Order: sequence, then structure tokens, then C-alpha cells
Amino acid sequence: MTLRKLNRYFFKKKSSLLLLIVPLVVYLFVFFVYPLTYEVYISFFNYSLGSPTKSFVGFGNYVYMFFKDVQFFVSVKNTFIFITLAMLIELVIGFTIALALNKESKSMGLLRSLIIIPTSLTPMAVGMAWKTLYNPDMGAIPYYLNCLGGTNSAPTLNPSTALFALVIVEIWQWTPIVVLLMLAALKSLPLEIYEAGRVDGASIWQSFKYITIPLMRPIIILIAMLRVIDGMKTFDTIWAITGGGPGTATTVMNLRVYDVGIQQLRIGYAAAISNVISLIGLILGGVLIYILYSKKYEM
Amino acid sequence: MKLWRRIIVFLVVGGLMVGGIALLGMAQKNMTLSVACEADQFANYLKVMAKQFKEETGIEVKVDILGYSEHRQKITQDYTTNTIQYDLATVDTVWTGEFEEKGWTIDLTPLIKRDYLEINVPDIMPVGFEIFTWKDKLIAFPMSGYSLSLVYRKDLLDDPKEKEAFKEKYGYELQVPKTMEQMANVATFFTRPKEDFYGLVAGGARGVCCGQEFMTYLKCFNARIFDEKGNVTLNSPEGLAALKFFVRIFDEWAPPGAAAYWWDGRETAYRMGKVLMQITWSISRPGYELPDFSKIIGKTGMAAHPFIPEVKTSYGYGGWGIGINADISEDRQEAAWGFIKFITSPENQKAWMLTSWQEYGSPGDTGMPIRLSTLIDPELNEKNPWLKDTMLIEFIYGDFSFRPPVPEYAQIESILGLYANMAIAHELTPEEALAKATNEIKAIYEK
Repeated sequence: MTLRKLNRYFFKKKSSLLLLIVPLVVYLFVFFVYPLTYEVYISFFNYSLGSPTKSFVGFGNYVYMFFKDVQFFVSVKNTFIFITLAMLIELVIGFTIALALNKESKSMGLLRSLIIIPTSLTPMAVGMAWKTLYNPDMGAIPYYLNCLGGTNSAPTLNPSTALFALVIVEIWQWTPIVVLLMLAALKSLPLEIYEAGRVDGASIWQSFKYITIPLMRPIIILIAMLRVIDGMKTFDTIWAITGGGPGTATTVMNLRVYDVGIQQLRIGYAAAISNVISLIGLILGGVLIYILYSKKYEM
Repeated sequence: MKLWRRIIVFLVVGGLMVGGIALLGMAQKNMTLSVACEADQFANYLKVMAKQFKEETGIEVKVDILGYSEHRQKITQDYTTNTIQYDLATVDTVWTGEFEEKGWTIDLTPLIKRDYLEINVPDIMPVGFEIFTWKDKLIAFPMSGYSLSLVYRKDLLDDPKEKEAFKEKYGYELQVPKTMEQMANVATFFTRPKEDFYGLVAGGARGVCCGQEFMTYLKCFNARIFDEKGNVTLNSPEGLAALKFFVRIFDEWAPPGAAAYWWDGRETAYRMGKVLMQITWSISRPGYELPDFSKIIGKTGMAAHPFIPEVKTSYGYGGWGIGINADISEDRQEAAWGFIKFITSPENQKAWMLTSWQEYGSPGDTGMPIRLSTLIDPELNEKNPWLKDTMLIEFIYGDFSFRPPVPEYAQIESILGLYANMAIAHELTPEEALAKATNEIKAIYEK
């Protein structure tokens, strides 16, 4: 075969391969690259949605965000408290439930099916349901809290308890996912190591501490990363239950973007906040991936 | 070309032309207009009138009813992306400046001048046109006019025992409050948490509701966001008094959950007999007399909202109009204009109020007047005496400056909705909240 024929052969092969990925490229461009690029572009403008003009302000939106917008920092603080608390408690409860479900019996199959129900509901529906439960006038939770000795105990109306009330909702809805992932990981653990431990006289607690935890560490870190990223995306339940109030007590970063971009129509500034959120997410994800793939945790 | 071929070509071209014209006419007749309608009490009857309009003109009208926030977002998206999902949309009075600046709806002035007699313009209350005019352009036609009124439990205010106890405590006769001080006294007197009864309610949910509710009390205290020259004057003694009073509502007089109430929560609290009084829009008035919907049938009185004594009397005015999408073609604009004339005709304005909700919609559904003839109609006043007794004078002296329909209104409302809520939650003092809100509003105009 001549060189020219060979080149033509490989070019044709490459071309057909390239053609196969064109739809994906187009999809990525239309739904990811273009919006992201436009978002970065518009963040340098003072632009009200629908306005015929926009004025270039350079880094003005970012300067305002970091040096003048107190609400932005409040939303960052609330977001970190929200995702950290939710993630830690979900891990503990999820791991505990997964350990309990990691036994074969007649009812376990049914239990595993039932436990997934909260996760299968849409966040907005969950938000509306919990809003009713937390309703200060007729909700079950304030009613029973008052019976237990509280006065006017409406968790979502009190700035010091509102965020924790939302953390409870987040835990209720997403712990099942943690359970499922942990359960799958537990099922895949090699039994030989446990047998070897038993032979060596290890107790149940020692098996858990020296075998189960180290083996589960990578999956725990992975789940933590997924829950952090998911937590950063939370909007629907918070919007439905408190709308970001009372005051700024439950305003997370996504709600700040909504308030600025959709309520006030300041798209330029909203884009700037969104870019910063994306950057924070990237950094957090990077840190967790580093921890995940760090040699320290290699078996 | 042979003769027979020429004849065939002539017949085909001629036939196409005639057919095309016929199709155009049919297209007009077969046209479907779409309306985005906010889910107030007037919305469901719009569907009834849409059917009637189709019977008369052959033009179908689809009415899409949406919650306040969804309605705003959908039409914003439609107008900014020019997708022409809606030919018409209901327009809140506070959006006037923004809609004009962004050119989202057409200027109806030429059409009104053209059809002046058909519409009977003098019959429409002038404030209805004023509120939708910005830089001499009428961006929406008034459709449902609201007056800001005080509704109260007249049975309790007329009760001899209550009157005696009130006079003993305050030294003057218990009556419908006309000043803010009287309102505070009456609210305090009737707040009885052990009986689960409260003196005054407002909506405190953070966001547009809290912002609009707070602006209501700015009106009562004659506080202005802007002065006549456009300077931001919110942080004034009147503004501070308004915010302090607003915070007192939630601290002292309202049901415990009021800080999370939207408008429907506030109305429900009143309708269920939990609250003595509230300042609300007149659209809610008929709902208090409906069986199975209200626990206070026959017990509500309605009056102008209170003021501080020094204020020259004017009354809060608001409501909804209907605008035509500026992106649609001229023939569609003409059809849309026809629909607007139809729904705002004297006959339909009356029917909107007279037709019982049970025939078409949900409890409380009704229209609100824009015409003088509707306000003074004897048949309507027999059913709703507050039309002529209260609303007429409120429309004549209607004032909408307390919710300035400037292009930046959405930002102002969001700022007030946040800081008023922060004051209610005691995250900030009223002084701090007002100062921060004022600074942020000023910053809008300094950019």
C-alpha cells in the first residue's frame, strides 16, 4: 500500500470517527460551552434583562460582590453551613442504616425499596410538603414542639433555627441515596479479610474499626464529594419553604443568584455571582478528588 | 406561448391570488390569540369571556393562568427572547415604567384615539389610564382597578361591650380607625392570643409580598420613596415611622405565622375570623361573603385606609391592565385590541362582577371596575354597596406614587422586601434596615 493510500485510509477512518462524535460536540457547545462563555461575557456588563442597552463595567460586578455586597458573604456562609452539616449527618446516618440493612432477611428487600421513596420525590414537592409541616399556624411540627414546652415554636420563622430546619429536610430527602451507595460498597467488600480477622480473634468492633472503615474510606469520600456538589445546587426546597428568609437566615448562594437575576433582572451581576459559585464548586471538587486519590488512602 | 396555455396560466395565477386573499381572511378568523394571565380573582372569568369572544368573532383566545412570580418570569422570558408565546399579557401597575423602557408592549394611545367613542373613554376612571402611562405612552389598558382599603369586623367594632371597654381604656369611642394612632390602639385592644384572635395582619414573607405590604404602610404614613424631583427620600421620619409600625404588626398584633404569610395567608387569616382588620386590595372584598369559603359572612365593613392626620387625602390605587406584545404582527395586534375592547366593554365589566363564581370558577372569583358606570351601577351596588360608598371616592382620589412604577421597580421592590423582612426578623433595627435599603436604592441610580 502506498503512503498516500495509507494516509487516505487513516483520514477516512478518523473522519468517520469524528463524525460520530459531532452530535455530542454540538450538544456540549450549545448547552455548555456557549452558555458558559456568554455567562462570563455578560458578567462584565451592567445589564438589566430585556433592556435595549448594556454598559461595560469590567470587573465592576466582581468588585461590588467582594467589597460591597454583604448579602453575598452571608449567602456563602449559609451555604457552607448548610452543606457541611447536611453532608456530615447524612454520612453518619446513611452509614448506620446501610450497616443495619447489610443483612439478608425476608424483609430487607422491602425495606430497601421503601427507603428510597424520599429521594424519588421532586425537591419542590418535598419543599411544599415540609412547608405545610413547618407552618406556624397549623403545622404538625410547631404544634408538637409547643406541646413539648416551646412557645410559638416555629422553626422556620426563627432566624437562629431556620437553616437547621432546612438541613433536616435535606437529610430526610437525600440520606437514602447515601444508604444505597454505602450498601453497594459494603456488599462489594471482600469477605476473606473479615474471615482472616475472625481467625485472628478480632471482635465485631475491631473488624468495623480496622477493616470496614479503611475499606470504605474511598467511597465515603466520594459520597461526601457528591453530596457537597449536590448541596451547592440546592434551591427548590429552600425557596419553597422559606424563600431565603427570615431576613437572610436561609439565603444560600443559588437563592442570591435568583434574587438578583430573576427578581431584580440584574443579569450581569447574577452571572458574576454564578461564575464565583462555579469556581467554588470546582475548588471544592478538586480538593475532594485530591483527598480521594491521595496515596494516603490507597490500600 | 399558445393561447390555451396563456389562459391556463392566467386562471392558475388568478385562482392563487383569490385563494390567498380568502386564506388570509380565514387566517384572521381562524387566528388563535394567547393570553398570559396572573392568577388573581379576575382570571377565571377571562376564560369565560374568551369563549364569548370566539362566538362573536371566530377568533380563539387561549388563557394561561399563572401565579404572580411565574407570570412575571414567563412574560419576561417571552419578551426578552422574542418567542411570541403570548399575544397579550396582564400587566401589574408597577411594571409600567419597565415595560415602556424595554418596549415590551405597544403604545395603545393611537388605538384609543381611533376608537374613542366605541370605548367610551370618559367612562373609564382617569387614574386607570394614568397608572399605565409612562413618558406619554399607554403600555396597557386598564382591566381591573383596585383600591387599597381597610377591611374590618364591623360586628366587633359595633359591639356595645367592646365599645364600653375600649372607651374605658382609651378615653374615646371605638370606631373605624382613621389615623395610624387609632389603628394601633384598636389593634392592641383586639389582640387576644389566648382566644387565638389578633388585631391586625399583614404579609411578611420575604420578597415581593413583604415589599408590597411595606409600601402599603409607606402610603399610610405619607412616606415617599422618591420626591417630585426623583430624589430617593425613603429614609425620612415618615419612612421610619412606617417601618416601625410595620414591625409592630408582627411583634404585637398579627398571628404568629404572619411573618411567613403571602397575600393568600393574610386573606385566609382574616376570612377564617382570626383577625380583626387588614389593609388589602378591594378585589378580595366579595370573597368575605361566600358560604363555605368565609367564616365571617355579613361581618365585614370596608373603609378607606387610615392615614397620619396631617396628610392631604388620597387613596392607594393599583390593579391590573392588559397589554399587547410588541413583537406580534399588525393583524394580530388588531385582533388583540379587539379582545381588549371586548373584555373592558361596559357590559362585560358589569358581567365580570355580577356573574357568580359558581358558574365558572373558584370561590372569590370576581372582576373589579375600571368604569364609572360600573362603580355606580344600581344592580351591582345592591350586591356590593361598597362600590359606590367606598371605592368610587378612592378611585377619584386614587394615588399610585407609593409604588412608583419606575423602570427599576423590580429592584426597589426586592430591596424593600428583603430589608423590611430583616427588620421583622429583628436581624436589623428599623433604622438600620431603612438606611441600608435607601443606600441600595440610591446605588441603582448611581451606576
